[in-house]
Amino acid sequence: MGTTASQLPKDSLSEYQELTFLTKQEILLAHRRFTELLGRDERNHPNPRVPMQVILTLPELKSNPFKTRICQVFSTSEDKDGSLTFEDFLDLLSAFSDSATLEIKSHYAFRIFDFDDDGTLDHSDLEKLVNCLTGETEDTRLTSEEMRQLINNILDESDIDKDGTVNLSEFQHVISRSPDFVSSFKIVL
Amino acid sequence: MSSASELVVGSSRSLLAAKRHRTVRKNSRRIYSAYRDHQQGSSDEEGGDDKEVDSNDPEEMFQNIQYQKEIIANIRSRPWPMRRKLKVLKQAREIVLKYEGQLTRTRGYQTAGADLLKKLYRVLYNIVVTFIPWEVRIKKIESHFGSGVASYFIFLRWLFGINIVLTIMTGSFVVLPELLAGAPFGTTRSKTIPKEHLASAQDLDTIWSLGGYLQYSVLFYGYYGSVRKIGSAGYRLPLAYFLVGMAVFAYSFIILLRKMAKNSRLSLVSASDENFTFCWRVFCAWDYLIGNPEAAECKGAAIVNNIREAIVEEQEKKKDTSLAVLISLRILANILVLLSLAGSIYIIYFVVDRSQKLEQEKPELTLWEKNEVSVVVSLITMIAPSAFELVAQLEMYHPRTSLRFQLARVLVLYLGNLYSLIIALLDKVNSMSSTPHESSSNWTNTSSTISSLSAQVPRISVSEHRNSTMATISTAINFVHNRSSLVIAYNQTIPFEKNARSQQDQCWETYVGQEMLKLSIIDMIFTVASILLIDFIRGLVVRYLSDCCCWDLESKFPEYGEFKIAENVLHLIYNQGMIWMGAFFSPCLPAFNVLKLIGLMYLRSWAVLTCNVPHQQVFRASRSNNFYLAMLLFMLFLCMLPTIFAIVRYRPSEHCGPFSGQEKIYDIISDTVASDFPLWFSKVMSYVTSPVVVLPAVLLLFMLIYYLQAIARSLKFTNNQLRIQLQTERTEDKKKVFQMAAARLQTPEASADKNPDQQESDIPSHEASIHTSSSQQNGSVTNVQSPINHSDSIRTITQSASGADLNEGHVSESVRRPAVIVLPKHQVEPLPNSRPRHFIGGQSGSCRSKSCHHMAYNPPSGLSNAIHTDPLYRKTIRSLHPVEAAGIIAAQNYGGRRGPTTRYVIVNEHRPRRKLLCSATRIPRHYLMEEPTEILELYPRNIKHYTPRTNPQHPPRSHTSQQLRKEEEETGKDRKRTSLGKSLRPCSLPDHHQQAHFYIGERLDSFRESQRARNEIQKDDEEEAGKEGVDWGDFNLPSPSQASIKEKVCFHTQRHPVHSPRRQHQSPTRSRHMGSQLKPKLRGQLETHLTESDSASIASSSDQQNSSTDQYIQVIHSKERHLGSDVRQEKVSKKKTKANFDINYTESNDLICSNV
Repeated sequence: MGTTASQLPKDSLSEYQELTFLTKQEILLAHRRFTELLGRDERNHPNPRVPMQVILTLPELKSNPFKTRICQVFSTSEDKDGSLTFEDFLDLLSAFSDSATLEIKSHYAFRIFDFDDDGTLDHSDLEKLVNCLTGETEDTRLTSEEMRQLINNILDESDIDKDGTVNLSEFQHVISRSPDFVSSFKIVL
Repeated sequence: MSSASELVVGSSRSLLAAKRHRTVRKNSRRIYSAYRDHQQGSSDEEGGDDKEVDSNDPEEMFQNIQYQKEIIANIRSRPWPMRRKLKVLKQAREIVLKYEGQLTRTRGYQTAGADLLKKLYRVLYNIVVTFIPWEVRIKKIESHFGSGVASYFIFLRWLFGINIVLTIMTGSFVVLPELLAGAPFGTTRSKTIPKEHLASAQDLDTIWSLGGYLQYSVLFYGYYGSVRKIGSAGYRLPLAYFLVGMAVFAYSFIILLRKMAKNSRLSLVSASDENFTFCWRVFCAWDYLIGNPEAAECKGAAIVNNIREAIVEEQEKKKDTSLAVLISLRILANILVLLSLAGSIYIIYFVVDRSQKLEQEKPELTLWEKNEVSVVVSLITMIAPSAFELVAQLEMYHPRTSLRFQLARVLVLYLGNLYSLIIALLDKVNSMSSTPHESSSNWTNTSSTISSLSAQVPRISVSEHRNSTMATISTAINFVHNRSSLVIAYNQTIPFEKNARSQQDQCWETYVGQEMLKLSIIDMIFTVASILLIDFIRGLVVRYLSDCCCWDLESKFPEYGEFKIAENVLHLIYNQGMIWMGAFFSPCLPAFNVLKLIGLMYLRSWAVLTCNVPHQQVFRASRSNNFYLAMLLFMLFLCMLPTIFAIVRYRPSEHCGPFSGQEKIYDIISDTVASDFPLWFSKVMSYVTSPVVVLPAVLLLFMLIYYLQAIARSLKFTNNQLRIQLQTERTEDKKKVFQMAAARLQTPEASADKNPDQQESDIPSHEASIHTSSSQQNGSVTNVQSPINHSDSIRTITQSASGADLNEGHVSESVRRPAVIVLPKHQVEPLPNSRPRHFIGGQSGSCRSKSCHHMAYNPPSGLSNAIHTDPLYRKTIRSLHPVEAAGIIAAQNYGGRRGPTTRYVIVNEHRPRRKLLCSATRIPRHYLMEEPTEILELYPRNIKHYTPRTNPQHPPRSHTSQQLRKEEEETGKDRKRTSLGKSLRPCSLPDHHQQAHFYIGERLDSFRESQRARNEIQKDDEEEAGKEGVDWGDFNLPSPSQASIKEKVCFHTQRHPVHSPRRQHQSPTRSRHMGSQLKPKLRGQLETHLTESDSASIASSSDQQNSSTDQYIQVIHSKERHLGSDVRQEKVSKKKTKANFDINYTESNDLICSNV
């Protein structure tokens, strides 16, 4: 990986085009943005990793309530610190791109919402999810009674097997019916 | 295989990992995969497949390459990290490269060409993306304000695209030819400015009101010449003008409908009756595009409101609110809205009327008087929506409903405005087109009088020169004619000169076009003004004065302007409607609209980015898209109506425009057909347009519409049915998974408990514990081990039995039953085993506990030999059983004879297992379909098989000699069966394997197919072999079809008659004996059980099923009876509670088997 956009090797560029839903321009733009995030000394590193805190300063992610989750899900880092390589970054952008399929989007959405990484959305996951959406301040936060009812309602609707959790297929079922998930589950650089 | 996957597998099921067969692993992984596992599994498959490439068969190689290419093509839609994708991609590419060379050269070229094409396509795509206008701008807006706001701009861009095409159409086919080849300005009367106007032609207010030079330009209809062919090429301008005018509408319709169809294909997937309000509000609430902190805050607040609202709604769903006040308020609001609508319509009509009067009365009009119509219309369109919004607050609807109401009202308002305007205009047109008509008729009257006068002249002259020759007469006539025509011409020119001004002004088409263009311009000005004033100034004030004000300007009164997506979109639609309405009369209107849209795009996006906040109640993007389009379509239709009406109804202006002098505008078509096409064509046309053709065509259309609608309805119905079915299946299946999990928890305990006292044969207790744990759970393979590895557990069972303890063979034999879960087993076993069982009977219960033990402790060995070891084991069992249990003479004989037959049994036994594997190891969804039905099937199958068996059971043991004889017969038969079984297996097995991977829908079909095929085979067999009916169960084993229960059942019912003759043939006395003995006794009791189980397990019970169950009931009687009379362990019967019926059932089967 080079330090500037022009140094992104041609063959890997075409490979990235093959492997993601991004166009050439988008990949180049992503590369530029990514290198901007890197420290000066890191640029010469063969496969640099940007720590999560730096990634989160991106304006596209800054106001996203799930930003840390997004980083964690797309990070391939061994120590689960949410740091991203350029390829992870491309993965992220690809999943959030315009042309990504509903399936892949819903898959990643599920993983983002699955806070404890156990493969299902259970009560605590849903609660965290709602808290993320509403924010932590007192006036916006739902009361426990509201929360209970909300989660019960969610499970009523989506939990087809009534096991108290929402699994991936149930989640995808729900999501696929949503008319505007695909159009809103996007991040554009 | 990737090492990572190996690791995962190893850690999760370390016990048996090494021995596992690969397919087993794949399948097993597929079921229980959380996403991570899933990833690994699939990568694993690919890795594995990569290695299998080594084969020299070119076809196979080619297929492999294709497969690899598929991987390459689809790799981007896999949720893997990039490195994995890269790796797989590289691998796949290498293989493709490596082996592609070995293929024929043409194939190589083909693929190279395909590669090149792909690259070209990508390059093109990249180029195209750069040329999409405003992509960056829209993306920026999108990332700031979310997809809702962006949808407005996308819609705007789309409209822009449409207008570009319209512009090109009118520009290239009408405007350009007229400019290039038409008569130049000033040559004809319709193209010159009248002298009185020439002086003021360049005044600003003339230009402003589109008079003067503008009026006599290509902008308007009146300028175009009526010469049939212009230029050296003979371009038919009038025809082109008419066709283009129609094509504008046609194109708009087509493009709109196509877009709508595309959108609805997306949105129809989301069936409206399925309601996931809460899920969507949480899962899909966040718009990930939002990058602006303010917008994010807004969005967050909106989400909270949304959720709260939903909760409150849910809570108050059943509550009654004080409706009286609300209803009266709403009625009031609606009255207000209606009043304002009526008022606006009246005002517009009044203004148009007034302007006409003013025009007639006053020679010079002020600027205001000239523009008051469009100004008033624009003002109304601006003010009324806000008024409606105020009114809507009275109504206290849910925000979304109120938004809908608002949109509907605004749309009605816009339409009302446009319509009242156009009606007023047409009114004027009517008077305009009628006055010249009258005057011209006057002329014709006068001319006709003149001509009649002059016609009298020749008569006179003729009478005078009676004697002159014909020639003179004719010349005289000619002369007179000439004279009369001259007179006419003279007469005509006088009024013409007089009326010159009024006639040219009375080019009503130009007038309509002027009004439309004026309206469009004023609308644009007002839009710009409102953006600047309402949004920009307000934004400035709020931002910079908020510090020096005593209240918070940003959050209290003025706030920032909201970007109201829906209303803005409606405004766009309204604007487009004006364009459509006026396009025929003013060919340049689309071009003007293009400019307007470009300006709007920049201005709006700038305003949005600088001084707007997104609407609180966001009208969601994609859902609203079709809503917008539907409104646009509605608008298009309504705007087309007046134009078409004017074209059809009114006579074109006499002295201007391409159709001057024609009776009707559309006459141009019939004229062209008549004059420029060969005769046959016009004949054909006349036929085609005659009612003879048109009426049937219309009828046909109606029929077609009805038919398609009927189809759509039925499809919808089936769709619903399928969904319901899916839901029930899913719930059923999930229950099963649940039970399996429970069973998994239970069994280890059970096995641990039972280990020590295997031989003690504490029968009742064992039965109780094991049966409850195993057979109660229908899918109780699980009780053996972790649910992750059904296959493994099953294998271990067989292994443990065969490899380890031959001595305890009997144990494991009986073990199998509970462990493998009864269902498939029973189906298989009855034939060969029925007799030995008889002797073992007593032990079966005790053995069960052992099975668990074996499973847990015996390491499997030599898996590949399973088939062979099984027979061995079988043999031993058989030889042992008799000795141990009953110790009757026949024992050895059995053992010896069974040799060949057992083999067959095993073959079949593997199948059910495999079946189980497949069913168990699928991802829950697929898996759902299979298991429950299998269980259903279990009952009929078992019963059926037992029917023949049970008869022989009855005779007391003294009959052993008879039995022996029969055994010999049987072995003979069995041999036949073996051959049959073997021959059939290969086809059925692969079948099955494939099906395992399919989705439900397909599977149903294929299964049914195979089922049918099998049935037929079986019938044939039946006829041929006569006595082999029993076999069928075995053949059916691999195919216990999910959906085809019904078929199965009828199959069974058919079979029964066959069986019974056979039964009687074998042991006529016994069967009779049995029948008389058993039936009456237990019937009632059993029937209740059965029906219950039926209703519980069989989702859709049909008549056939019911009838078949009757038969089963009889069968069961015999079994029951047996339990009661012969066997020692009828303790089972204690458990016969309704809840436990399953248990009873399976158990009873066991017992019967062992009793024979």
